[in-house]
Amino acid sequence: MGAVVSAATVERAAARTPRVTARPRRRASGGSVARWAYLGLLALFFVVPQLAMARFAFQNVPVVLLDSSTLFQGWSAHRLVEALTEPELWASARTSVILAALAIVLNLALLLPLAVLVEVRRPGLRPLVTAVTLLPWVVPPIALVVGVAATFRQVAPWFLASPLSLVPFYALWAMPFTYRALDAGLRAISARTLVEAARSLGASLPTVLLRVLAPAMSAAIVASAGLTGALVLGEFAFASLLLKNTLPTYLVNYQRGAPQAGMALALAVMLLTAVGMAGVVHLLRRRGLGVSTVGV
Amino acid sequence: MTGGPVRAVTRPRVGTRAWRWRPDGATAAFAVFLAFVAVFLLWPTVVVVGHAFAPGGVIGLGAMTEAVSGPFRSPFRNSIVLSAATAVIGGVLGLLLALAVRDLTRPRWLRPAIDAWCSVASQLGGVPLAFAFVAALGTQGVVTKALNAIGIDLLGTGFSLSSLAGLVVVYLYFSIPLMFLVVMPAVAGLRETWREAATLMGASPWRYWRSVAAPLLVPPVLGGVLLLFINAFSAYATAYVLDSSGQLVPLQIRFVLQGNVITGEQDLGYALVTWTIALLLLGLALMTVLQRRAARWAQS
Repeated sequence: MGAVVSAATVERAAARTPRVTARPRRRASGGSVARWAYLGLLALFFVVPQLAMARFAFQNVPVVLLDSSTLFQGWSAHRLVEALTEPELWASARTSVILAALAIVLNLALLLPLAVLVEVRRPGLRPLVTAVTLLPWVVPPIALVVGVAATFRQVAPWFLASPLSLVPFYALWAMPFTYRALDAGLRAISARTLVEAARSLGASLPTVLLRVLAPAMSAAIVASAGLTGALVLGEFAFASLLLKNTLPTYLVNYQRGAPQAGMALALAVMLLTAVGMAGVVHLLRRRGLGVSTVGV
Repeated sequence: MTGGPVRAVTRPRVGTRAWRWRPDGATAAFAVFLAFVAVFLLWPTVVVVGHAFAPGGVIGLGAMTEAVSGPFRSPFRNSIVLSAATAVIGGVLGLLLALAVRDLTRPRWLRPAIDAWCSVASQLGGVPLAFAFVAALGTQGVVTKALNAIGIDLLGTGFSLSSLAGLVVVYLYFSIPLMFLVVMPAVAGLRETWREAATLMGASPWRYWRSVAAPLLVPPVLGGVLLLFINAFSAYATAYVLDSSGQLVPLQIRFVLQGNVITGEQDLGYALVTWTIALLLLGLALMTVLQRRAARWAQS
């Protein structure tokens, strides 16, 4: 899975806000009808698969009989309950959560000081850092896993033995969008002025980082953490090919044995991710930031 | 940037300040970051590319040509067709969505809802999305049956989720929202005053779109289409769930990786990865150029 922060940097978002004064204009009703028809069709495209999955997941009816005549029969959540009582689910979910937490920490530890220092001390480095943080995009998980098998497996086989070995790679794939989120956040608060002010008042580096910058850019930090977490909780290729049991690999295996219960579980995971993401988006919107991610 | 002489003057001044930051703080952080990227990204990548150009330890293009010929020609063709179709269709539909939403003010809640939904949906790739489409459009899918009931035999038309057309439909689910997110700032940046100015100077609406709006939108739209292409080309989980033996490059890489019994086959895997990286690198370079141009125009 890879992700990006859209080009909607703060300046642009800020420039956009006062422009909301689009007055109601006369419009050909034909255009209006076409627009609403288009929006309606897209809404159907986005909603119908979810509803179909809900029927598979929560109707106690064999898949073959799921047609319009059985629409109201046998709705129950017992399959989800069944799926949730599997101990293996909790083991793989625990692995995924630990991986997510460690990847978030590693990613921020690498990029937050770097983003601050580049913004405050070495703006000349910014194009280079931006270019390097884009590189993980060019080597998606399915490509890098081949290289990892060819290098780490031979030089340091002990490294790949633990599921925690996925952490640095997940932190890496999160970089393209977390760096942009942090950079946008830094520019939004005019970090250089803040740092100079703190500096002239005699603040030390930890004080500047933790008591001046971090609170001011908490939205960007939360966004980075949220996006990294979503990436780790959804990544399948790398974990599956290195034979690690994470939540997505468990989902695929479990659904093979229990098709409908697997869908119930997948729907629950998807809803949780969506709610979490929506929370992050909401938080950012309040701060006037626009961040987007890409699922792979 | 500042010229040499200016730097020479400011440097010692900063150095003599009794401030706690080490003079090389930025360099140190940058070095740690570079070392991290080098170990976990560049090293494996360089080793793979090296193996691809030296199959069996002898320098040669054998593996690289084999990876795009014979039985491997069709995965590359399929992957490129799939990604290009997803990128173009998703690009057009996403742009239309942005244009449709642009001056939408009436139901107040709608615009923020669409923005939030697109941020979420562009993230909903992977395993659960594939399951959702199996439930909707699979052989036993709810929509498949509903269409059957009104006399449309979807499967009879040759449609299946594991076909290229089916995969395009599934990939559009995260590509349209992604395109929307990428082009929305540019579409929202079209000032109403520009249209008024053009109209005052006697331009027809068509002329306004052709001479003012289109040139502004082309770079971000092309950049967005390339982004969708990269995103679709490297997608793995969705395709794996829908058709694990599929004729797509990511799935073939897995085959070669898991069945590396014969040594020659391993070199083939390295060559497949090298071609993939080269293709994505090309896409990323084009995208960066387009985005830079878009940013320049947005500023001026």
